Amino acid sequence: MSIPKRFLGTIAIPLISFIILEALCLRHGSHIITNMRSFDNFVVYVAIVMITTIALSINLNSGRFDFSLGSMAALSAVIGAKITYAVLGGGEGSAFMMLAVTVVAGAILGLISGCVYVVLRIPPIITSLGVTLIYEGIMYTITEGKYLRVEVQNASMSGFVSTWKYAFAIIVLVLVAAIVIFDHSRFGYDYKALKDGQKVAVNTGINEVKNALGCYAICGGLMGIVGFLNAARNTTINGGQLNFGSIAIMFTAFLPMFIGSYISRFTNERIGFLLAAVTMSLLNSTFAVFSNEVTASMQSIINAVLLVVFLIYLNNEKLLVRIFSKK
Amino acid sequence: MKQKMNQIKKNGIGQFLVTLLPFAALVVLFGLFVGVVSMKGYRLDMYLQIVFNEGVVLAVVATGAIFIYTLGTFDISLGAATLFAATMGVLAYNATENMGLMILAIFASGIICSLLNSVLASVFHIPAFVTTVAMMSVLTAVASQIITTKGGALGGISIPSVVVKDMDEPAFKIVLLAVFFLACFFIFNLTKAGRRQKFIGGNPVCAELTGIQFNKYTILAFTIAGIGVGLGAFLTLIYTPSVTTTTASSVGMNIFIAIVFGGMPISGGARSKIYASLVGGFSFMLLNDILDLVIDSSAAYGITQLISAVFFLAVVYVTSMNYRTQMLPR
Repeated sequence: MSIPKRFLGTIAIPLISFIILEALCLRHGSHIITNMRSFDNFVVYVAIVMITTIALSINLNSGRFDFSLGSMAALSAVIGAKITYAVLGGGEGSAFMMLAVTVVAGAILGLISGCVYVVLRIPPIITSLGVTLIYEGIMYTITEGKYLRVEVQNASMSGFVSTWKYAFAIIVLVLVAAIVIFDHSRFGYDYKALKDGQKVAVNTGINEVKNALGCYAICGGLMGIVGFLNAARNTTINGGQLNFGSIAIMFTAFLPMFIGSYISRFTNERIGFLLAAVTMSLLNSTFAVFSNEVTASMQSIINAVLLVVFLIYLNNEKLLVRIFSKK
Repeated sequence: MKQKMNQIKKNGIGQFLVTLLPFAALVVLFGLFVGVVSMKGYRLDMYLQIVFNEGVVLAVVATGAIFIYTLGTFDISLGAATLFAATMGVLAYNATENMGLMILAIFASGIICSLLNSVLASVFHIPAFVTTVAMMSVLTAVASQIITTKGGALGGISIPSVVVKDMDEPAFKIVLLAVFFLACFFIFNLTKAGRRQKFIGGNPVCAELTGIQFNKYTILAFTIAGIGVGLGAFLTLIYTPSVTTTTASSVGMNIFIAIVFGGMPISGGARSKIYASLVGGFSFMLLNDILDLVIDSSAAYGITQLISAVFFLAVVYVTSMNYRTQMLPR
């Protein structure tokens, strides 16, 4: 494929989305991004969606459906908030300390989830259901089912999301790390081999257990970042999420994951996830512009319809091309 | 040769014992429940009714869902579909004050929601787990919008309790459950359709090569699941004649647990069992209620869920012992 074609293919979806959404906003007498504050929110949301999508895709691409991502994000954020508040009392540096603790806690939770999977050797979809319930149960027990507010409402936390710079730095770091780990390391080569041919890969001597544990730990660490960003953005953590209440986080990443996979035909898959996250963030910012007309329920419906329409296109692409080329 | 035969016999006995495990667990949990309620000095009849009313909705919806799971796919929108069907039922009754139309609205909604999933999956070739995720979002959002718009400050919509009071009897619910279960049992175990669904779930490629039409059986599975959803929504309304945004919210995911508790593999196929929904549904409810009774603290719900989850994983581990693979399962 020629470079201009690859470039056009890469930017087509976010660019077309931007043009359509900006036109809609202009008709409303506004822009998608109206001021610096909305730009900050835009970048923070890109970070949240991109990282969740990367985390979701790591295991899903390998045929491991993981329901526990949301519970990992929430529980690691609770642990991070509690420890940080106990040490710093909401003082200076709280945000950075909470970020570090939350990432470590997330990675440990991910590793535990992976251990449950490799030790029990039962399908990952089932272990992830059990792990989700366990993490939600622990979170509820720690917080007594209440919202955590005092621990995350401080100047350091609000300062972290009141500028786009930190979120941007996180995006760059995660993106570079993900590309290096999954595309330019032995771990990544093993991951790809296991993904495309489990039996052959195992027979050639690749340590599947080690690779799976690594994937789960990375997912956990990434969800730790998401948990932290959500806590800083919402200025609270809901500790009362029981009965799979935490899995909603995972569903937000479905549409960007499929958009990202489509874009990956023209570029690196992780770049595809970034551009898909940008597209989702544009949509989210447009919803904010139309907040008086488009309710939260309407937003859910629009997102779901977009997901279905996009998948109908993706799964019937050849047929559609055939139909239109005949005409 | 003799040694091999002995080994097969031994494995057969082991397999048989594992098959009995979910039933044994149900009996043990029931005994424990009776013991705990008696020890606490509570009214056993009242608590049994609570467990039954919670369990019957889960068992009915899960029985229909077994057909989908047997095909090797799953549907997490069933809880949302139950909420949506109940919402439509309340709207229909409040608009017409006609019980027949209410029931019609409930079942039509359940079946249409389910059929929409199957059309998207079989006609448009979208992975079923994705369509059901999208459907879950849409149904929850639409139902919530209706409930919050029409429910006003009370945050819920309802029908007069007198309308369904006569039906709020265990005998009536048992009859409904039995009729639906027996019909499903017949289709699942004694018809060509049931056998073919298990074949598709076990090996879709082989099934296709032998001429089995995947789409036909997918649509059939989702239709039966839709009837289960309708029945579940109807039973929900009989028990609580009001619908809120959280009605049946946990049913969709609890079906997974119920089916696994009942001894059926999530991967479907030939080892699927129609009774898994019934045994697993009531076992899960009994376990939850036992823990609710025993644990008495501000974090009781969390600890209850934690212990249930550990128990769930332990049950799955034991029941799947005979099916371990050398490689990690996917």
